[in-house]
Amino acid sequence: MRQIQSGAEPFFYPGGETGCLLAHGFTASPQEVHRLGEHLAQQGYTVLGVRMFAHGTKHEDMNRARWTDWLTSVEDGYHLLANHCKRFFFIGSSVGGSLSLILATRFPPAGVVMLATPIRLPPDPRLERLKPILKPLSYLLPAIPKGPPTWHDPQAQVERVAYTAYPLRAILELEPLLAAMRSALPKVRVPAFLMHSKNDRFIPSEHMQQIYERLGSSDKHMTLVEDSSHVITCDAEREVVFQNVTGFIQRIDTSITEGV
Amino acid sequence: MTQIMKGGQPFFLPAGSTGCLLLHGFTGTPNEMHWMGEYLSGRGYTVLAPRIFAHGTQLSDMFRARWKDWVASAEDGYHLLKGSCEKIVIAGLSMGGTLSLILSSYLPVSGVIAMAAPYEMHDPTVRRLRPILPLLSLFYRSRAKESSGILDPMAKQVHVDYDGYPVRGGYELQELLEEMRSNLPQLNKPVLLINSKLDEAVTPEHARAIFESLPSSDKQILMLEEGGHNIPRDLARQTAFQAAGDFIQRVTSEAG
Repeated sequence: MRQIQSGAEPFFYPGGETGCLLAHGFTASPQEVHRLGEHLAQQGYTVLGVRMFAHGTKHEDMNRARWTDWLTSVEDGYHLLANHCKRFFFIGSSVGGSLSLILATRFPPAGVVMLATPIRLPPDPRLERLKPILKPLSYLLPAIPKGPPTWHDPQAQVERVAYTAYPLRAILELEPLLAAMRSALPKVRVPAFLMHSKNDRFIPSEHMQQIYERLGSSDKHMTLVEDSSHVITCDAEREVVFQNVTGFIQRIDTSITEGV
Repeated sequence: MTQIMKGGQPFFLPAGSTGCLLLHGFTGTPNEMHWMGEYLSGRGYTVLAPRIFAHGTQLSDMFRARWKDWVASAEDGYHLLKGSCEKIVIAGLSMGGTLSLILSSYLPVSGVIAMAAPYEMHDPTVRRLRPILPLLSLFYRSRAKESSGILDPMAKQVHVDYDGYPVRGGYELQELLEEMRSNLPQLNKPVLLINSKLDEAVTPEHARAIFESLPSSDKQILMLEEGGHNIPRDLARQTAFQAAGDFIQRVTSEAG
């Protein structure tokens, strides 16, 4: 029996010497960045979208995951691209952006793109109170249902391939992951591009501002969209996101190829 | 610092529109499939070797791994390779051979090559302990590996793997083999089994048991005279590579 859900498969479109490594967010699947990947492949880039460990199968699997497994998943993608490409762009949605940034301190890319990426866990009073007992609690209550969806494009909600619950034990893994990201921020010197929605009700756009300020890069830019919720790669303004990301990659890529 | 140990990285060797997915064995890494990958790439086949979950990082990661994670990693490799290939053959060593047979029972592949693939857990003690292994593994995490089982001294030197066996893995491996045995009757694709006469773990009887379970009429066993369990690393590897290359050529050039 197939283990990976239909629509949650990783993808790899070989193209030119410039490779784009795409990372999806927590409890999501490669579907979250698939359209962005297709858009970049149409521009001639080599594109690879990894499946993070324990994603796209069953949400129960996630409680066995550690944040380092997700970093290893992204590292796998880099190695698969490495033999085919000369330059790399690490691109991530939400926590996938955090992983892209951490990976950038280990394998320096030509540029890094963080979309709707958090700098820390959003404050949740329920979570604060439960945190000391979350590990044992997760054996009794493996997952909690997600809140009502806030999509601006109802079709994007229909197409969404993601878990409908938050695995409790796995939420704890986000803390060391985001701490690793915060310590990676000043070390990253490569060009960086950030996007976020003003109407992100899950991760407020102040997170983008704070990431921007702490980034070690001198070439860094950020852009806001409005008519989208958290998942800006799929929601109503996805085309604007695709164009902005492509514009950033093209600018850096051209400066490198013409500079050599 | 990186997550994956040096030499244990997955690899992709782009070439033609026929692809070969290479799956490594239990506690091994993509490294053991590298020579085979280079050989097949030289014959014009695109090659992708994924890293199976919890392999090539640290042994303690294996304590959390379940057999379904390994199947999912192999499926990842198939989907990634599909992006550049029209036809795909899956080849695997040992547990990678088991995974190859499982995937081929439900994915549209042109053929499958299983090297030193077990039919059941070869160690009778581990077989008997199966029901208590999950509990036992909480206290007794792993046991040391005596040797890599590789007879070629040069290949032994470049081998990259864990130096121990995770006890929980012994349970998961048996679950995986049970899944394989229940999938074999549905595997109606060309199959090449490659085994070594001198393999002390996966003896020629395993190949015969798998062979008997296959409904396909297009099935064959190649029995190697030299080398041990780790076929793509060991002494008879060139014979194995050539047989694998010829098999891929035949099953992907036929109509359909």
